Amino acid sequence: MQLKRMNSAALVLILLLRLTPALAREYDVNLQAKRDVRFRSTTDVNEFEGVTDHIDGYVLLPDTAPPLGEDAKDSELHFEVELASLDTGIGLRNRHMRDNYLQVEKYPYAVFSGTVAHVESASGDTLQVTAKGEMQIHGKKKQMSIPCTVSPEDSGYRVHGAFTVLLSDFDISIPKIMFLQLDNEIHLEVDFAVEPIKD
Amino acid sequence: MKLRSMIAALLVLSFTPTVLYAMEQSVGWHRREDTTALPITVFHSTQSANLPTAQTIFKGEWQFEISHRFQPPFSAGSDALWGLDGPIYNRLGLSYGVTDRVMMSVLRSNLEDNLELGAKWRFREGHLKGLPYQLAVMGGLASNTSVGPSYGPGYRNREAQSYAQFILDALLADRLALGVVTSYLNNAQIADTRTLNEVTVGLNAQLYLARMFSVFTEWNASKSYEGLRHDALTFGLEIETGGHFFKLMASNSERPNPTQFLGGTPIAFTPHQWRFGFNLTRILRF
Repeated sequence: MQLKRMNSAALVLILLLRLTPALAREYDVNLQAKRDVRFRSTTDVNEFEGVTDHIDGYVLLPDTAPPLGEDAKDSELHFEVELASLDTGIGLRNRHMRDNYLQVEKYPYAVFSGTVAHVESASGDTLQVTAKGEMQIHGKKKQMSIPCTVSPEDSGYRVHGAFTVLLSDFDISIPKIMFLQLDNEIHLEVDFAVEPIKD
Repeated sequence: MKLRSMIAALLVLSFTPTVLYAMEQSVGWHRREDTTALPITVFHSTQSANLPTAQTIFKGEWQFEISHRFQPPFSAGSDALWGLDGPIYNRLGLSYGVTDRVMMSVLRSNLEDNLELGAKWRFREGHLKGLPYQLAVMGGLASNTSVGPSYGPGYRNREAQSYAQFILDALLADRLALGVVTSYLNNAQIADTRTLNEVTVGLNAQLYLARMFSVFTEWNASKSYEGLRHDALTFGLEIETGGHFFKLMASNSERPNPTQFLGGTPIAFTPHQWRFGFNLTRILRF
Protein backbone atom coordinates (compact mmCIF):
# COMPACT_ATOMS: atom_id res chain seq x y z
CA MET A 1 0.00 0.00 0.00
CA GLN A 2 2.82 2.32 0.98
CA LEU A 3 4.73 1.42 -2.18
CA LYS A 4 1.66 2.19 -4.27
CA ARG A 5 1.34 5.62 -2.61
CA MET A 6 5.01 6.33 -3.31
CA ASN A 7 4.58 5.32 -6.91
CA SER A 8 1.59 7.62 -7.30
CA ALA A 9 3.61 10.56 -5.90
CA ALA A 10 6.45 9.81 -8.28
CA LEU A 11 4.00 9.74 -11.16
CA VAL A 12 2.61 13.16 -10.21
CA LEU A 13 6.14 14.55 -9.83
CA ILE A 14 7.15 13.23 -13.21
CA LEU A 15 4.05 14.69 -14.85
CA LEU A 16 4.78 18.03 -13.16
CA LEU A 17 8.35 17.91 -14.39
CA ARG A 18 7.03 17.26 -17.86
CA LEU A 19 4.75 20.27 -17.74
CA THR A 20 7.17 22.71 -16.03
CA PRO A 21 9.36 23.87 -18.87
CA ALA A 22 7.61 26.57 -20.92
CA LEU A 23 8.42 25.84 -24.55
CA ALA A 24 10.07 28.74 -26.38
CA ARG A 25 9.61 29.72 -29.98
CA GLU A 26 12.36 31.17 -32.16
CA TYR A 27 11.70 34.18 -34.34
CA ASP A 28 14.36 35.20 -36.84
CA VAL A 29 14.70 38.53 -38.62
CA ASN A 30 12.68 38.38 -41.82
CA LEU A 31 15.24 39.14 -44.53
CA GLN A 32 12.52 39.61 -47.14
CA ALA A 33 10.67 42.28 -45.18
CA LYS A 34 11.78 45.91 -44.88
CA ARG A 35 14.80 46.31 -42.58
CA ASP A 36 16.40 49.56 -41.59
CA VAL A 37 19.09 50.62 -39.17
CA ARG A 38 19.65 54.36 -39.19
CA PHE A 39 22.05 56.54 -37.23
CA ARG A 40 22.11 60.29 -37.08
CA SER A 41 24.84 62.66 -35.94
CA THR A 42 23.93 66.28 -35.34
CA THR A 43 26.35 69.10 -34.61
CA ASP A 44 26.10 72.87 -34.94
CA VAL A 45 27.66 72.80 -38.39
CA ASN A 46 26.82 69.40 -39.77
CA GLU A 47 24.15 66.74 -39.68
CA PHE A 48 24.28 63.44 -41.46
CA GLU A 49 22.66 60.07 -41.44
CA GLY A 50 23.91 56.58 -42.12
CA VAL A 51 21.71 53.67 -43.09
CA THR A 52 21.94 49.94 -43.68
CA ASP A 53 19.53 47.06 -44.07
CA HIS A 54 22.07 44.49 -42.89
CA ILE A 55 20.47 43.60 -39.57
CA ASP A 56 19.94 39.97 -38.67
CA GLY A 57 19.35 37.93 -35.53
CA TYR A 58 16.75 36.11 -33.51
CA VAL A 59 14.55 36.26 -30.45
CA LEU A 60 13.41 33.28 -28.39
CA LEU A 61 10.00 33.91 -26.82
CA PRO A 62 8.05 31.68 -24.44
CA ASP A 63 4.97 30.23 -26.08
CA THR A 64 2.94 31.67 -23.24
CA ALA A 65 3.05 35.42 -23.30
CA PRO A 66 3.97 36.96 -19.94
CA PRO A 67 1.32 39.03 -18.18
CA LEU A 68 1.54 42.67 -19.18
CA GLY A 69 3.77 44.69 -16.93
CA GLU A 70 5.92 41.70 -16.08
CA ASP A 71 9.22 40.43 -17.31
CA ALA A 72 9.31 37.87 -20.11
CA LYS A 73 11.31 35.21 -18.35
CA ASP A 74 13.03 32.60 -20.50
CA SER A 75 13.33 35.02 -23.42
CA GLU A 76 16.55 35.54 -25.29
CA LEU A 77 17.50 37.85 -28.10
CA HIS A 78 20.52 38.48 -30.28
CA PHE A 79 20.80 40.99 -33.11
CA GLU A 80 23.74 41.98 -35.30
CA VAL A 81 24.31 44.88 -37.67
CA GLU A 82 27.02 44.52 -40.28
CA LEU A 83 28.86 47.83 -40.04
CA ALA A 84 30.72 47.79 -43.37
CA SER A 85 27.35 48.14 -45.09
CA LEU A 86 26.53 51.50 -43.45
CA ASP A 87 26.08 54.18 -46.09
CA THR A 88 26.22 57.87 -45.23
CA GLY A 89 25.70 59.00 -48.82
CA ILE A 90 29.33 60.07 -49.36
CA GLY A 91 31.93 57.46 -50.24
CA LEU A 92 34.77 59.35 -48.56
CA ARG A 93 32.79 59.65 -45.32
CA ASN A 94 31.92 55.95 -45.48
CA ARG A 95 35.59 55.08 -45.73
CA HIS A 96 36.46 57.35 -42.82
CA MET A 97 33.72 55.79 -40.74
CA ARG A 98 34.74 52.24 -41.62
CA ASP A 99 38.50 52.66 -41.33
CA ASN A 100 39.04 55.40 -38.79
CA TYR A 101 36.19 55.14 -36.32
CA LEU A 102 34.44 51.76 -36.40
CA GLN A 103 37.47 49.80 -37.65
CA VAL A 104 35.19 47.32 -39.34
CA GLU A 105 37.92 44.97 -40.51
CA LYS A 106 38.64 44.26 -36.85
CA TYR A 107 35.10 44.70 -35.47
CA PRO A 108 32.69 43.93 -38.32
CA TYR A 109 29.45 43.73 -36.30
CA ALA A 110 27.55 45.76 -33.74
CA VAL A 111 25.87 43.17 -31.52
CA PHE A 112 23.07 43.41 -28.98
CA SER A 113 22.35 40.32 -26.86
CA GLY A 114 19.94 40.16 -23.96
CA THR A 115 16.38 39.44 -22.92
CA VAL A 116 12.94 40.91 -23.20
CA ALA A 117 12.80 42.68 -19.86
CA HIS A 118 9.43 44.33 -19.74
CA VAL A 119 6.23 44.23 -21.77
CA GLU A 120 3.42 46.77 -21.60
CA SER A 121 0.42 47.50 -23.72
CA ALA A 122 0.74 50.55 -25.93
CA SER A 123 -2.11 51.28 -28.33
CA GLY A 124 -4.31 48.70 -30.06
CA ASP A 125 -2.38 45.50 -30.47
CA THR A 126 0.98 47.26 -30.21
CA LEU A 127 3.17 46.46 -27.24
CA GLN A 128 5.80 48.61 -25.60
CA VAL A 129 8.75 46.35 -24.93
CA THR A 130 12.02 47.00 -23.17
CA ALA A 131 14.98 44.87 -24.16
CA LYS A 132 17.85 44.68 -21.71
CA GLY A 133 21.25 43.38 -22.52
CA GLU A 134 24.76 44.00 -23.67
CA MET A 135 25.65 46.18 -26.64
CA GLN A 136 28.98 45.45 -28.25
CA ILE A 137 30.51 47.92 -30.71
CA HIS A 138 34.16 48.42 -31.61
CA GLY A 139 35.11 45.57 -29.28
CA LYS A 140 33.66 47.34 -26.22
CA LYS A 141 30.61 46.20 -24.23
CA LYS A 142 27.99 48.21 -22.42
CA GLN A 143 24.79 47.24 -20.61
CA MET A 144 21.82 48.97 -22.19
CA SER A 145 18.03 49.10 -22.09
CA ILE A 146 16.38 49.64 -25.45
CA PRO A 147 12.72 50.64 -25.68
CA CYS A 148 10.84 49.21 -28.66
CA THR A 149 7.35 49.04 -30.01
CA VAL A 150 6.27 45.62 -31.21
CA SER A 151 3.23 45.08 -33.39
CA PRO A 152 1.93 41.97 -35.13
CA GLU A 153 2.92 41.58 -38.79
CA ASP A 154 2.02 38.50 -40.80
CA SER A 155 2.86 35.52 -38.63
CA GLY A 156 5.47 37.45 -36.62
CA TYR A 157 6.10 40.93 -35.35
CA ARG A 158 7.47 44.26 -36.51
CA VAL A 159 9.95 45.86 -34.13
CA HIS A 160 10.80 49.54 -34.00
CA GLY A 161 13.31 50.96 -31.55
CA ALA A 162 14.96 54.33 -31.00
CA PHE A 163 17.81 55.00 -28.61
CA THR A 164 21.07 56.84 -28.17
CA VAL A 165 24.65 55.66 -27.83
CA LEU A 166 27.74 57.60 -26.86
CA LEU A 167 30.78 56.96 -29.04
CA SER A 168 32.97 57.47 -25.97
CA ASP A 169 31.27 54.47 -24.29
CA PHE A 170 32.66 52.30 -27.05
CA ASP A 171 36.13 53.78 -27.13
CA ILE A 172 35.54 55.40 -30.53
CA SER A 173 37.72 58.46 -30.52
CA ILE A 174 36.97 61.47 -32.68
CA PRO A 175 39.89 63.71 -33.64
CA LYS A 176 39.44 67.21 -32.21
CA ILE A 177 39.21 68.73 -35.67
CA MET A 178 36.26 66.40 -36.35
CA PHE A 179 34.25 67.51 -33.30
CA LEU A 180 32.61 70.11 -35.51
CA GLN A 181 31.35 67.40 -37.84
CA LEU A 182 30.67 64.34 -35.68
CA ASP A 183 28.81 64.31 -32.39
CA ASN A 184 29.69 61.99 -29.52
CA GLU A 185 25.96 61.31 -29.09
CA ILE A 186 24.60 59.21 -31.93
CA HIS A 187 20.85 58.64 -32.36
CA LEU A 188 19.94 55.19 -33.58
CA GLU A 189 16.72 53.81 -34.99
CA VAL A 190 16.04 50.21 -35.88
CA ASP A 191 13.06 48.86 -37.76
CA PHE A 192 12.68 45.24 -38.81
CA ALA A 193 10.32 42.28 -38.75
CA VAL A 194 10.77 38.88 -37.12
CA GLU A 195 8.98 35.74 -38.18
CA PRO A 196 8.72 32.32 -36.52
CA ILE A 197 11.17 29.85 -37.93
CA LYS A 198 9.61 27.02 -39.84
CA ASP A 199 9.53 23.72 -37.95
CA MET B 1 7.41 -5.96 -10.77
CA LYS B 2 4.77 -4.49 -13.02
CA LEU B 3 4.76 -1.27 -11.04
CA ARG B 4 8.55 -1.07 -11.16
CA SER B 5 8.48 -1.47 -14.93
CA MET B 6 5.88 1.26 -15.22
CA ILE B 7 7.94 3.60 -13.07
CA ALA B 8 11.07 2.86 -15.11
CA ALA B 9 9.16 3.52 -18.33
CA LEU B 10 7.77 6.78 -16.96
CA LEU B 11 11.23 7.86 -15.82
CA VAL B 12 12.56 7.29 -19.31
CA LEU B 13 9.57 9.13 -20.72
CA SER B 14 10.05 11.94 -18.26
CA PHE B 15 13.44 12.71 -19.75
CA THR B 16 12.12 12.80 -23.29
CA PRO B 17 10.43 16.21 -23.12
CA THR B 18 13.43 17.62 -21.30
CA VAL B 19 15.62 16.55 -24.17
CA LEU B 20 13.07 17.86 -26.67
CA TYR B 21 12.86 21.09 -24.69
CA ALA B 22 16.61 21.42 -24.76
CA MET B 23 16.55 20.82 -28.49
CA GLU B 24 13.84 23.43 -28.93
CA GLN B 25 15.89 25.94 -26.93
CA SER B 26 18.95 25.49 -29.12
CA VAL B 27 18.97 28.37 -31.56
CA GLY B 28 18.55 27.62 -35.23
CA TRP B 29 19.62 31.10 -36.36
CA HIS B 30 22.92 31.61 -38.14
CA ARG B 31 24.33 34.44 -40.24
CA ARG B 32 22.62 34.32 -43.60
CA GLU B 33 24.15 37.23 -45.53
CA ASP B 34 27.60 37.69 -47.01
CA THR B 35 29.67 40.48 -45.54
CA THR B 36 29.95 43.66 -47.58
CA ALA B 37 33.06 43.79 -49.76
CA LEU B 38 35.15 46.82 -48.86
CA PRO B 39 36.07 48.98 -51.87
CA ILE B 40 39.75 49.14 -52.79
CA THR B 41 41.30 52.53 -52.12
CA VAL B 42 44.83 53.54 -53.12
CA PHE B 43 44.95 57.34 -53.19
CA HIS B 44 42.15 58.82 -51.08
CA SER B 45 41.42 61.81 -53.31
CA THR B 46 40.78 62.13 -57.02
CA GLN B 47 43.98 64.03 -57.74
CA SER B 48 47.38 64.59 -56.27
CA ALA B 49 48.43 68.26 -56.56
CA ASN B 50 47.83 68.33 -60.33
CA LEU B 51 48.20 64.77 -61.55
CA PRO B 52 45.03 62.71 -61.45
CA THR B 53 44.73 59.54 -59.38
CA ALA B 54 42.60 56.57 -60.39
CA GLN B 55 40.14 57.32 -57.57
CA THR B 56 36.72 58.67 -58.53
CA ILE B 57 33.87 60.13 -56.58
CA PHE B 58 30.80 57.89 -56.36
CA LYS B 59 27.46 57.99 -58.12
CA GLY B 60 25.42 61.05 -57.30
CA GLU B 61 28.23 62.86 -55.50
CA TRP B 62 29.36 66.38 -56.36
CA GLN B 63 32.87 67.64 -55.81
CA PHE B 64 33.61 71.36 -55.64
CA GLU B 65 37.17 72.58 -55.95
CA ILE B 66 38.92 75.85 -55.45
CA SER B 67 42.66 75.94 -55.99
CA HIS B 68 45.16 78.78 -55.92
CA ARG B 69 48.69 79.01 -57.26
CA PHE B 70 50.44 82.07 -55.91
CA GLN B 71 52.68 83.73 -58.47
CA PRO B 72 55.33 85.37 -56.26
CA PRO B 73 57.72 82.78 -54.76
CA PHE B 74 58.29 82.26 -51.03
CA SER B 75 61.62 83.98 -51.60
CA ALA B 76 59.81 87.30 -52.28
CA GLY B 77 59.94 87.61 -48.49
CA SER B 78 57.83 89.52 -46.02
CA ASP B 79 57.18 92.42 -48.42
CA ALA B 80 55.09 90.06 -50.55
CA LEU B 81 53.99 88.06 -47.49
CA TRP B 82 56.09 85.19 -48.83
CA GLY B 83 54.00 85.12 -51.97
CA LEU B 84 50.59 85.25 -50.34
CA ASP B 85 50.00 88.84 -51.51
CA GLY B 86 49.48 87.38 -54.95
CA PRO B 87 48.52 87.73 -57.70
CA ILE B 88 47.27 84.19 -58.11
CA TYR B 89 46.17 81.75 -60.73
CA ASN B 90 42.84 80.38 -59.70
CA ARG B 91 41.09 77.18 -60.64
CA LEU B 92 37.44 76.42 -59.96
CA GLY B 93 36.14 72.93 -60.52
CA LEU B 94 32.89 71.05 -60.36
CA SER B 95 32.70 67.27 -60.77
CA TYR B 96 29.82 64.85 -60.72
CA GLY B 97 29.79 61.09 -60.16
CA VAL B 98 27.82 59.67 -63.10
CA THR B 99 28.34 56.14 -61.78
CA ASP B 100 30.51 54.72 -59.01
CA ARG B 101 33.29 54.54 -61.63
CA VAL B 102 32.76 57.48 -63.96
CA MET B 103 33.04 61.14 -63.07
CA MET B 104 32.75 64.23 -65.26
CA SER B 105 34.29 67.58 -64.53
CA VAL B 106 34.18 71.21 -65.59
CA LEU B 107 37.34 73.15 -64.71
CA ARG B 108 38.04 76.79 -65.22
CA SER B 109 41.40 78.49 -64.76
CA ASN B 110 41.96 82.24 -65.05
CA LEU B 111 45.28 81.54 -66.80
CA GLU B 112 44.36 82.14 -70.43
CA ASP B 113 40.75 81.60 -69.33
CA ASN B 114 41.18 77.88 -69.82
CA LEU B 115 37.86 76.07 -69.69
CA GLU B 116 37.98 72.30 -69.69
CA LEU B 117 35.46 69.49 -69.91
CA GLY B 118 36.92 66.22 -68.68
CA ALA B 119 35.93 62.69 -67.74
CA LYS B 120 37.56 59.86 -65.79
CA TRP B 121 36.71 56.17 -65.85
CA ARG B 122 38.07 53.90 -63.14
CA PHE B 123 37.78 50.67 -65.03
CA ARG B 124 39.58 48.16 -62.87
CA GLU B 125 40.88 47.49 -59.41
CA GLY B 126 42.03 44.46 -57.51
CA HIS B 127 44.99 42.86 -55.83
CA LEU B 128 48.12 41.79 -57.65
CA LYS B 129 50.20 39.50 -55.44
CA GLY B 130 48.49 41.08 -52.47
CA LEU B 131 49.10 44.62 -53.72
CA PRO B 132 45.93 46.75 -54.08
CA TYR B 133 45.82 48.56 -57.42
CA GLN B 134 43.48 50.73 -59.48
CA LEU B 135 43.47 51.55 -63.19
CA ALA B 136 41.74 54.48 -64.85
CA VAL B 137 41.65 56.47 -68.04
CA MET B 138 40.96 60.16 -68.23
CA GLY B 139 40.59 62.73 -70.97
CA GLY B 140 39.53 66.26 -71.58
CA LEU B 141 38.95 69.05 -74.09
CA ALA B 142 39.97 72.59 -73.24
CA SER B 143 39.47 75.99 -74.79
CA ASN B 144 41.72 78.92 -73.96
CA THR B 145 39.23 81.66 -74.52
CA SER B 146 41.54 84.59 -73.86
CA VAL B 147 43.96 83.64 -76.64
CA GLY B 148 44.18 86.67 -78.94
CA PRO B 149 46.29 88.33 -81.65
CA SER B 150 49.27 88.64 -79.30
CA TYR B 151 49.71 84.86 -79.70
CA GLY B 152 50.75 85.35 -83.35
CA PRO B 153 49.28 84.38 -86.70
CA GLY B 154 46.72 81.59 -86.73
CA TYR B 155 46.01 82.01 -83.02
CA ARG B 156 42.35 81.14 -83.52
CA ASN B 157 43.34 77.61 -84.51
CA ARG B 158 45.44 77.15 -81.38
CA GLU B 159 43.05 77.98 -78.60
CA ALA B 160 41.81 74.40 -78.33
CA GLN B 161 43.75 71.68 -76.50
CA SER B 162 43.02 68.09 -75.55
CA TYR B 163 44.61 65.29 -73.57
CA ALA B 164 44.22 61.61 -72.72
CA GLN B 165 45.74 59.80 -69.74
CA PHE B 166 46.28 56.29 -68.47
CA ILE B 167 46.57 56.03 -64.70
CA LEU B 168 48.02 53.15 -62.69
CA ASP B 169 48.01 53.38 -58.89
CA ALA B 170 49.17 50.85 -56.31
CA LEU B 171 49.35 50.78 -52.53
CA LEU B 172 52.36 49.50 -50.60
CA ALA B 173 52.18 48.44 -46.97
CA ASP B 174 48.72 50.06 -46.56
CA ARG B 175 50.36 53.49 -46.32
CA LEU B 176 52.35 54.40 -49.40
CA ALA B 177 50.36 55.12 -52.55
CA LEU B 178 52.28 55.25 -55.81
CA GLY B 179 51.01 56.39 -59.18
CA VAL B 180 52.15 56.51 -62.79
CA VAL B 181 50.27 58.77 -65.20
CA THR B 182 51.05 58.54 -68.91
CA SER B 183 49.55 61.47 -70.81
CA TYR B 184 49.13 62.44 -74.43
CA LEU B 185 48.77 66.20 -74.80
CA ASN B 186 47.59 67.84 -78.00
CA ASN B 187 48.74 71.43 -78.66
CA ALA B 188 51.01 71.55 -75.63
CA GLN B 189 52.18 75.14 -76.14
CA ILE B 190 49.46 77.41 -77.47
CA ALA B 191 51.95 80.29 -77.75
CA ASP B 192 53.87 78.33 -80.41
CA THR B 193 52.72 78.76 -83.99
CA ARG B 194 53.21 75.02 -84.56
CA THR B 195 50.84 72.46 -83.07
CA LEU B 196 53.00 70.56 -80.63
CA ASN B 197 51.86 67.19 -79.39
CA GLU B 198 53.69 65.21 -76.76
CA VAL B 199 53.63 62.27 -74.42
CA THR B 200 54.46 62.99 -70.79
CA VAL B 201 55.05 60.67 -67.87
CA GLY B 202 54.05 61.66 -64.36
CA LEU B 203 54.95 59.99 -61.09
CA ASN B 204 53.22 60.68 -57.81
CA ALA B 205 53.51 59.30 -54.31
CA GLN B 206 51.60 59.86 -51.10
CA LEU B 207 52.49 58.61 -47.65
CA TYR B 208 49.51 58.31 -45.29
CA LEU B 209 50.96 59.10 -41.88
CA ALA B 210 47.78 59.21 -39.76
CA ARG B 211 44.00 59.13 -40.04
CA MET B 212 43.86 62.62 -41.49
CA PHE B 213 47.40 63.56 -42.46
CA SER B 214 49.57 62.59 -45.38
CA VAL B 215 52.43 64.00 -47.41
CA PHE B 216 52.65 63.84 -51.18
CA THR B 217 54.91 64.61 -54.08
CA GLU B 218 54.56 64.54 -57.85
CA TRP B 219 56.75 65.02 -60.89
CA ASN B 220 55.65 65.28 -64.50
CA ALA B 221 58.36 64.77 -67.12
CA SER B 222 57.56 66.75 -70.28
CA LYS B 223 59.35 68.00 -73.38
CA SER B 224 61.15 71.31 -73.16
CA TYR B 225 59.61 74.08 -75.28
CA GLU B 226 60.23 77.78 -75.52
CA GLY B 227 58.31 79.21 -72.57
CA LEU B 228 57.82 75.78 -70.94
CA ARG B 229 61.38 74.68 -70.33
CA HIS B 230 61.03 72.74 -67.09
CA ASP B 231 59.26 69.72 -65.61
CA ALA B 232 56.71 70.44 -62.92
CA LEU B 233 57.58 69.23 -59.40
CA THR B 234 55.41 69.63 -56.35
CA PHE B 235 55.44 68.45 -52.74
CA GLY B 236 52.99 69.09 -49.96
CA LEU B 237 50.79 68.11 -47.06
CA GLU B 238 47.22 66.82 -47.22
CA ILE B 239 44.57 67.01 -44.52
CA GLU B 240 41.37 65.07 -45.07
CA THR B 241 38.07 64.90 -43.25
CA GLY B 242 34.96 62.88 -44.10
CA GLY B 243 34.15 65.32 -46.92
CA HIS B 244 37.13 67.63 -47.52
CA PHE B 245 40.66 67.51 -48.78
CA PHE B 246 43.01 70.38 -47.99
CA LYS B 247 46.29 70.24 -49.89
CA LEU B 248 49.02 72.72 -49.10
CA MET B 249 51.99 72.63 -51.41
CA ALA B 250 55.20 74.10 -52.74
CA SER B 251 55.76 73.88 -56.49
CA ASN B 252 57.58 75.33 -59.47
CA SER B 253 54.33 75.15 -61.45
CA GLU B 254 51.64 77.78 -61.28
CA ARG B 255 49.65 76.40 -64.21
CA PRO B 256 46.45 74.91 -62.72
CA ASN B 257 44.46 73.07 -65.41
CA PRO B 258 45.60 69.73 -66.90
CA THR B 259 46.38 71.01 -70.42
CA GLN B 260 48.42 73.81 -68.86
CA PHE B 261 50.24 71.76 -66.22
CA LEU B 262 51.12 68.79 -68.44
CA GLY B 263 53.11 70.88 -70.94
CA GLY B 264 55.63 71.95 -68.30
CA THR B 265 56.50 75.19 -66.57
CA PRO B 266 58.72 78.19 -67.30
CA ILE B 267 60.02 78.10 -63.70
CA ALA B 268 62.99 76.02 -62.57
CA PHE B 269 62.67 73.78 -59.52
CA THR B 270 65.07 75.60 -57.27
CA PRO B 271 64.12 76.52 -53.70
CA HIS B 272 64.07 80.27 -54.30
CA GLN B 273 61.54 79.66 -57.08
CA TRP B 274 59.12 77.57 -55.06
CA ARG B 275 55.62 78.95 -54.92
CA PHE B 276 52.86 78.27 -52.47
CA GLY B 277 49.62 76.73 -53.63
CA PHE B 278 46.59 74.99 -52.23
CA ASN B 279 43.71 72.80 -53.39
CA LEU B 280 40.49 72.67 -51.41
CA THR B 281 37.83 70.15 -52.38
CA ARG B 282 34.49 69.39 -50.81
CA ILE B 283 32.34 66.36 -51.63
CA LEU B 284 28.60 66.75 -51.24
CA ARG B 285 25.40 64.96 -52.12
CA PHE B 286 22.14 66.81 -52.66
